[in-house]
Formats: sequence, C-alpha cells, structure tokens
Amino acid sequence: MIKRNIDDLALFGGPKAFWEIRSTSNLVQPDIENFLNYSKRIYKNRRITNNGPLVQELEARLATLHETSYCITFCSGFMALMLAIYDMHIKGINEGEAEVIMPSLTYRRMADIAAWAGLVPSFCDVDTNTLGMTAETVEPCINKKTTLILGVHPIVNLCDINGLEQLSKQYNIPLLFDSVEASLASYKGKMIGSFGQAEVFSLHASKLLNGFEGGYLTTNDGELAEGLRKGRSFGFSGRDTIVRLGLNAKLNEVHAAMTLACLDEIDSQITSNKIRYMAYKERLADIEGVDIVPYDEREKRSFKNILVKLDNSWPLSREHTLQILHAENLLARPYYYPPLHKKDTPYKQKMCNNLHITEPLSLNHMLLPCGEFVSVEDVNLAVDILAFLHDHGMELQKHFAAEEVK
Amino acid sequence: MKRNISSLAVFSGKPTFDSPLPVGQMNFAEWERFESAFRGIFARRYYTNHGPLVQELEARLCNMLGVKHAICTTNATIALLIAAKALELHGKVVVPAFTFAATVQSLTWAGIEPIFCDVNPVTHHITPELVEPLLDDSVSAVLAVHLWGNVCDIEGLSQIAAKKNIHLYFDAAHAFGSTCNNIPAGSFGDMEIFSFHGTKVINAAEGGCISTNNDYLAERLRNIRSSYGIRGTVYPNIMTSNGRMSEAQAALALLSLEDYDKNSQLNRDRFERYISHLKILPGFKFISVKSDEKSNYQYVVAEVDHEAFGISRDELVYILKAENILCRKYFAPGLHRCPPYNEQYPHFLNSLPNTDILCSKVIQFPSGQLITMEDIHTISTLVIYIHEHASDIRERLFHVK
Repeated sequence: MIKRNIDDLALFGGPKAFWEIRSTSNLVQPDIENFLNYSKRIYKNRRITNNGPLVQELEARLATLHETSYCITFCSGFMALMLAIYDMHIKGINEGEAEVIMPSLTYRRMADIAAWAGLVPSFCDVDTNTLGMTAETVEPCINKKTTLILGVHPIVNLCDINGLEQLSKQYNIPLLFDSVEASLASYKGKMIGSFGQAEVFSLHASKLLNGFEGGYLTTNDGELAEGLRKGRSFGFSGRDTIVRLGLNAKLNEVHAAMTLACLDEIDSQITSNKIRYMAYKERLADIEGVDIVPYDEREKRSFKNILVKLDNSWPLSREHTLQILHAENLLARPYYYPPLHKKDTPYKQKMCNNLHITEPLSLNHMLLPCGEFVSVEDVNLAVDILAFLHDHGMELQKHFAAEEVK
Repeated sequence: MKRNISSLAVFSGKPTFDSPLPVGQMNFAEWERFESAFRGIFARRYYTNHGPLVQELEARLCNMLGVKHAICTTNATIALLIAAKALELHGKVVVPAFTFAATVQSLTWAGIEPIFCDVNPVTHHITPELVEPLLDDSVSAVLAVHLWGNVCDIEGLSQIAAKKNIHLYFDAAHAFGSTCNNIPAGSFGDMEIFSFHGTKVINAAEGGCISTNNDYLAERLRNIRSSYGIRGTVYPNIMTSNGRMSEAQAALALLSLEDYDKNSQLNRDRFERYISHLKILPGFKFISVKSDEKSNYQYVVAEVDHEAFGISRDELVYILKAENILCRKYFAPGLHRCPPYNEQYPHFLNSLPNTDILCSKVIQFPSGQLITMEDIHTISTLVIYIHEHASDIRERLFHVK
C-alpha cells in the first residue's frame, strides 16, 4: 500500500504497511524433517541432557567451524559469559572491588552478568566509526583492580581485536570476547573463535544459529575448557565428586538437535542474509539522512543485522521514526538504548571515562527488521516508508511539534 | 541368577544386564506425540521468550499445584538463583548440607553465606528444632528441601520463620505432586522451586518452575528471569538474568504433565515391588511415603546399614554398577564436605552427625518407564544374594582392591 500523504501512515490511522510483524530477530527455521531426524536419535539414545551425544557432536562441529581446540555448549550465552567471567578473571582482588572492563553501548544484561560473577562492571567508550572498543578506549580504564577485559563485538563487524590482544599482553589481563553478534565472522582472514583466551556465542532464536535457547564458548585453553565443563554441571568431576563451585548451565539434547539442523543450512542462510543486506544497502544509498553501517565485505560476515545511522539531515528524531515504523508493524529497534551507564542497578558499577562518544551514538542508531521473515519485497517496502518520511519531513516535524504543544 | 560369588560381574562374571539400567526417571512421551508437538512449534515459529506453550504450561501448573503464580525457568538451579535475588536475601541463609549441590550453590552465586543445618535421621529433612538454634540476626531466610517425594514439616518451619520474621522457601525438586496434609507442594512458604530435569517425574529435558502466591514476588521473579512478551510491572533497579524456558522445553513438560498420573502410578508400582521384595532384608530400610499423603514415588531410596546388611553402601553401589545397575549414592559427600564449602566453612565439618551418617548410607535404585517389574525382581534377588554372601564377597573384594 503506497503512502500518499501523512494521514496514510498507520500512526495517524492509515492501514498498516505490513500485515504481520517484521522484527530484528532472526527466527531462522531449519528443515523440520532434518530436526526430527536428529530428535529421533534422542529417543534412540534415550539421552535428553547431561552432555549427551548430540551436544558432543555439536561441540565438535562448532570447534571445527571456529578452528579451535575446544567448544563447550551452555544453556544460554548469558550463563556462558557468567561462568567464563567468573573463571577467567584475575583472583585476589578484594571482593566487591574487582573490575571487568566492558563497553556501555552493548547488550542490556551485560553489566548484570558481571555482577552475578561478583565483579564490578567498568564502562569504557567506543570508536565513533566501528561502534566497537579499541585499545585507545580501553587503556584509560585499566587500573590495579582490573581483572578482565570483556571485548564485546558491535552488531556489525568486529571490535579492535588486535589492539585488545596487545593490551591484554602488555598489562597481563585476561581477554574474553563476547562474539554473540559477530557469529561466523573472520578477522584478517581467520575465523573468529580463538582470539583472546576465549570467545562466547549465542544460540538464542534471534541469533544466526537458532537453538531455541543456548550458548557456547570456544577456546584453545584446555585447562579453562576443563574447568568450564565441570562448572556448567555443578562442579562435578565424574559421577559423585564435586571439585568446584558450579551450577546447572547445560545445553539439553533437543536444543542441540535444533542447532545441528540450523548448522546444516548455515551457508544458504548467510547467502539469503547477504541478499537482504545488499537490497537494503542499494536502496538506502538513495535516501539522504539514513546511512547503513556497512559490512566489511573483504572479510567473512553473516550479514544478519541491519544497522543504520540517522544523521543530522534526517528530519525526525529517532524516537518519532521508531514510533511511525512500529505502527506499520516494522519493529525497528534503537541500537543498545539506554547505554548501560544510564541504568540504575542494585550493585556497584563504574564509568571509567566520560563516554562522550557512546552517548551520541546511543541516540542516533537503529536496527532495521532482518532475518528469515523479511523478504526483499519487505525490504523495498520498508525503505519506501523511510523515503516517504524523508520526503514529508517538514510536515511530520510540524505535526509532532503541534502534538507536543498540546 | 548368580550361582557363586565368582559369577558376580565385579569378579569378572557376566553382568546381570547387557546394558546399563538408568537410575533417573527418563520418562519419554511416545514419539508421535513428540513429533506432533514440535510440528506445532515449527508452524507457529515461536521458539522462546515466553511463548504460548510456556504460558499454557504455567497456567496448568498453577492449577495443578493450587497456586497463584507459576514461573517456568531454564532449569531448577537457575530458578533457585532467581529466587534468592527476588527475595532480596542478604547475610546468611540456613540450608541443609544433605541436599543436591544446586541448593547450596544457588546461595553462593547470589552472594549469600550458607549456614548448614543437620537433618532428622528418620525424615532426612531439616526440622524447626534443628533450625532454631542457628537463627541469629544475620540470617535472612531458611531454604528447606523436600526429599524423596516427602514434604518437610511445613507448619513447624512456617511458625519459626514467622516468629523470626525471615523468609522461608523450599527446594521442591523432588516434590512435584507430593502433599502435606493433602495440600500439594507449591504454595508453601514464600515460594517453592521444582525441577523438570530428565531424571524427574516431569521431564522437560531441562527445566524448572517457581511457584508462589505472592503477587509482588511473582513480578520480581518474572523481571529477574526475563519475560519478553509479558506486560507486567517492570522494575528498573533490578539485577536480571536469562532464566527463560524455551517452547521446546515447555512442549516436553506439557506432554509429561499429561502423563503424570500414569507415570506416578507406574513409579508407585515399582516402589512397592522393591519394598515387597526387600523389606525384610536386615540392614535395609526404605524411605516410605506417609500413608495419608500423595507422592510421585520417583525416588526409590533406602538406607543401607553396613553392619546389619553385611557390606557398605559404597561397596553395594560398586558391585551393582558392575552388573549394569546404576544405583546412586545420595548425597555423597554432604555439601559441607565439598569445595568450596569445606575450605570456606570448616567449622561445619564435624557439626552435622546425622547428615554424615546418612551420606554414607543412602542409595537410590532404578525406577521409571525403562525399568520393568521383572528387572526389579532381578535386582532384588541380586541384593538378597549379596547380603547372604556378604562376608565372602567382602573378603574377595578386599583382595581385588
């Protein structure tokens, strides 16, 4: 349905541009017969959890894919991070004082994860162009209480892996990468997974590999891997002996079956993602004020997330833009808003510098609908609406200004 | 049937069973029902984040447990972590050491110090009498554990918690469907935490659930678990987690719930068969269910008295394992003797005499769908044989070792 004037916008009573919601969640669906075939093995093995055969097969395949010696699956990326942070941080700093450096412009539960692991999140700034951490933004945050650097990759491309690895060596502080959004990317031609001491990935339905819920960690550090295997299963070593603090963070066999089925189709999924991304990129190039954050196409990328920046020539605020898109059933989302340092928490947290780059970035980026539900026609329609908003910018500005007066 | 002790598998005889008998429930719904449930999920394309099956499961659990709120989780351990945060616990919490590791570990992750309480040697539960002397100003809650399908002394523990104005909540991992005064576990204390692990009577592969009648706590629990799709009150200043149950887990739990009556009856039949075979055996005492209460009968648990039975619990487990009968030692050792607690709180090492005795005596036998009545007959015959030849077996075991 083509919008002719602003009354045609769903926000103002016009018909919705999309019959069904288009969201930023991937929700990729593997072939059901393939999933059921994996599941039949659960029945045959009569094993439904506790490091079952499907979990072991999945771990082996993921380790191969990431070119690492070890892969350990977990019930979620959250629990993978919590246990990894707990195990990897430098011990001996007073409890309640030990810090982990992380960006403020990131996953909304990231600071909570650090707090569960008993650490104080210390927020660093990010680079204007990559939206990721760099050696320059992290180094000022390092002090005597720093026990871990959590290198979080932004939603598109990667953070400064080389710079962070050098800092980690120079100061002798362990480095853990949160590679949840980076998924199957490469850095200087090498698949991610073995950078820092370990990397964490997610298997949540909204991510590249849909395991319903789940997560995994890759590493070449055998001791770390062994410790985490015990940690995810109550600290058990063998059947009856508990050797450490642990919890239940096991991935079950049904979630492993789903992930394996998705893994079988990963190449074709990345191809579709790239088609969607290229369609957005090509069409958005014609619209002033909306700049797509481009993928580095010289490297391997999964092209799932579509991130745009609204620059000064865009006529509307991001919040008004989102309001209009949501009414059309386009569930675009603000990029990591609010940033973590703006949130009240029941635990101690710290800003290690003024985060003057993070603040504006948190206000002018947004994620556009992507994933399996979004067709190229949907992309065209979504961009048509953005073009319409641009062309009717003055009129919409007046409307929102008048509304504010009321 | 063993003719002489050399035919025991532990002495290189042929194992009684060709493949291992599992000790947990491992009850599966028929494949056709599994397939149809998952075709439904694929048709809806709703995989997690508080989907329609989780919502249906929560509603059915409320109904079945007779409680206002049921909040389903990834697993019972994460549920215990979330519970501790929702209750805003601080300082110390009284908890038995005679429990599964997760009970105590949840406190540690929540930044709480455990105070280990000894248990009653008959019921295996903590009691008001044992709890009371441990309560000082630093204690913010009692975390009691229902064991073996029996429910704790609700009245006594509730009274003492009310008197001291502290929280009382229950690890109910064993107690789904069990009652106290004919009221099902689920609405006791501030909240109760159930497990839907594959070894339990409700099998969601992994899974758990927190039940409460308290609206405020329920909202906090949902916030901390993370509950996309729920438009309840959102508390800003809260430490969240990911404790969501997926649609896959909820589908399995719903199938299992449909089978609950069948499976608990099946458990009861097996439980009673073991007792009928072994009740007269010297040194062998089954933990039974009170005749006027309901239970899921998922745990066939006995105490083995070394002297009267002739060999120790550990030796019995070892001999049966060689026969492919996977019995489990519970809980060996007690949590007060496990890292990190044995080092952090060494003062408990010698203060829990009943716990230490039980940790050396309690054994769980195989039950559930996979175990036939004939299997139980075979296992029981073997246990009797072991008792009858105990001294010869011990002597020979000594040489083997």
